[in-house]
Amino acid sequence: MDQFLAETELTIARWHGVAAPNEPARRMAADLVNTIAAFEALRGTLAFEDEPSSFEAALYDMRETP
Amino acid sequence: MVALADLTLVEAAQAVHDGDASSRDLLNACWERMDAVNPTLNATIWVDRLGAERAARAADASRDTNEWCGPLHGVPLAHKDMYYQEGKRCTCGSRLRKDFVPDITSTAIERLAAAGAYSFAGLNMAEFAQNPTGHNREFGDCHNPWNPPYITGGSSSGSGAAVAARFVYAALGSDTGGSIRLPASACGVTGLKPTQTRVSRYGAMPLSFSFDNVGPLARTARDCARVMSLIAGRDPKDPTSSHLPVPDYEGALDGDLRGMRIGIPTNYFFDDADPAVSASIELAAEVLRARGATVTRLTLPVMDAVTGYGGIVSRVEAATIHAEWMRHRAQDYAPHLSGRMYAGYAIPGPYYVESLSRRGPVLRAFAGEVFAQVDVLATPTIRSALPTLAETDIDNGPPGTEARFMALSANTRPFNYLGLPAISIPCGFDANGLPIGLQLAGRPFAEARLLRLADAYQRDTDWHALLPPLLEATGEAAGIMLP
Repeated sequence: MDQFLAETELTIARWHGVAAPNEPARRMAADLVNTIAAFEALRGTLAFEDEPSSFEAALYDMRETP
Repeated sequence: MVALADLTLVEAAQAVHDGDASSRDLLNACWERMDAVNPTLNATIWVDRLGAERAARAADASRDTNEWCGPLHGVPLAHKDMYYQEGKRCTCGSRLRKDFVPDITSTAIERLAAAGAYSFAGLNMAEFAQNPTGHNREFGDCHNPWNPPYITGGSSSGSGAAVAARFVYAALGSDTGGSIRLPASACGVTGLKPTQTRVSRYGAMPLSFSFDNVGPLARTARDCARVMSLIAGRDPKDPTSSHLPVPDYEGALDGDLRGMRIGIPTNYFFDDADPAVSASIELAAEVLRARGATVTRLTLPVMDAVTGYGGIVSRVEAATIHAEWMRHRAQDYAPHLSGRMYAGYAIPGPYYVESLSRRGPVLRAFAGEVFAQVDVLATPTIRSALPTLAETDIDNGPPGTEARFMALSANTRPFNYLGLPAISIPCGFDANGLPIGLQLAGRPFAEARLLRLADAYQRDTDWHALLPPLLEATGEAAGIMLP
């Protein structure tokens, strides 16, 4: 966990120039392991053609009709 | 006799229309109430008495010459302090925007003004609309009118508290993860998060452009319908706003629920729910059943995808737009806020794009299966008994406070990822006497159905009409007889 957090802090500093502002920031950065786990569980669901604009089309297609 | 401040939005507008009260009368009643209770609640960030008096006088003058602006003629309102009004300070609840004066006016505000309403205050809110409780380090925490040590819910904390305390007839909130529905639930008022794209976000402070929504908090579903009929619809200034025509929301409020299919989820939404909360939802379903609706149980699909992907998008988008301040002024944010955004910088771009790319297919999978079985989902808005401000003080609380803090929005966040409309209406009280909210969610653009359902429920119950004990001592003199 400590190594994960240290690497995360380095990555954020290098890529964004943002330093951990406080302890809550470090705790929430460390908690990203749960985000990774959630994404691991979803691997394989993304289709080659999926793209963000499909959301507006889905909203329209699934809409309530009078 | 009903005190002017206790009228609903629709009744207040009718009172001005019929000559039973002037705009100035309404404004005075709101201020009298505000002056009595706001020192306890801290629901405002600023008040513009001079500008409001001018607007009230103008409304009364035009009424005297029969020049009607629209269905909110002469009604004083106030909104979450994140709606830009040209030349007026807009703090976004933050030290970083304490002196910000925008040079544009939000479309929602413009549309309400075109209907005759005016605004007299900027309402308290979570800093940059980013907490579910109502804590605010810069302008002070907002307190629940039903019991001040308890949270108001957030982030539209002042909107919920001011409407519940009856010194604002209706208020705009914003909802990125529950920020309209949570304060509506916690404060015992009605709040609607519209379908993503239904209401223009132009001139509203951005938090997460994929999830942000503009919507009303008010005393009744009918009041929300009135506001929605004014603010919904295409806006060229917000290219993401929908072209679909806006239905007659008020006209849909006929009380008839025959044939309406209501579903209570058997997974996710009741996990670890407080027994009083679960019981209130069951009782509410019985009320709806008695009006002709059918109530069934169903298992919701793809919830792992909804929660897994949904947790990514707003964090990354918020981190992105706050990056410059996070580099140079991170100490000017509350620690929980800078902490939450900090983690957003470590989320890889492919995760973010995948989350957005899967949003359409996940919506299709969810809506296709769920709305083939039912028309509306009924859930608690907040699963737990309402906590106190102290119990959720994430910046100063013991370990575990973060989990309690984030759990508050567990039932509202899924509908932001899915983009679905959802309304929260009061349906009971927990063991500590704090309001419980019933959340109803429907298909995309099903606002009229949700409002009809909520209105029907409010015809048969009076949870929405009960007044917080705090108001008992205020005793305003001005009032009118209602038919």
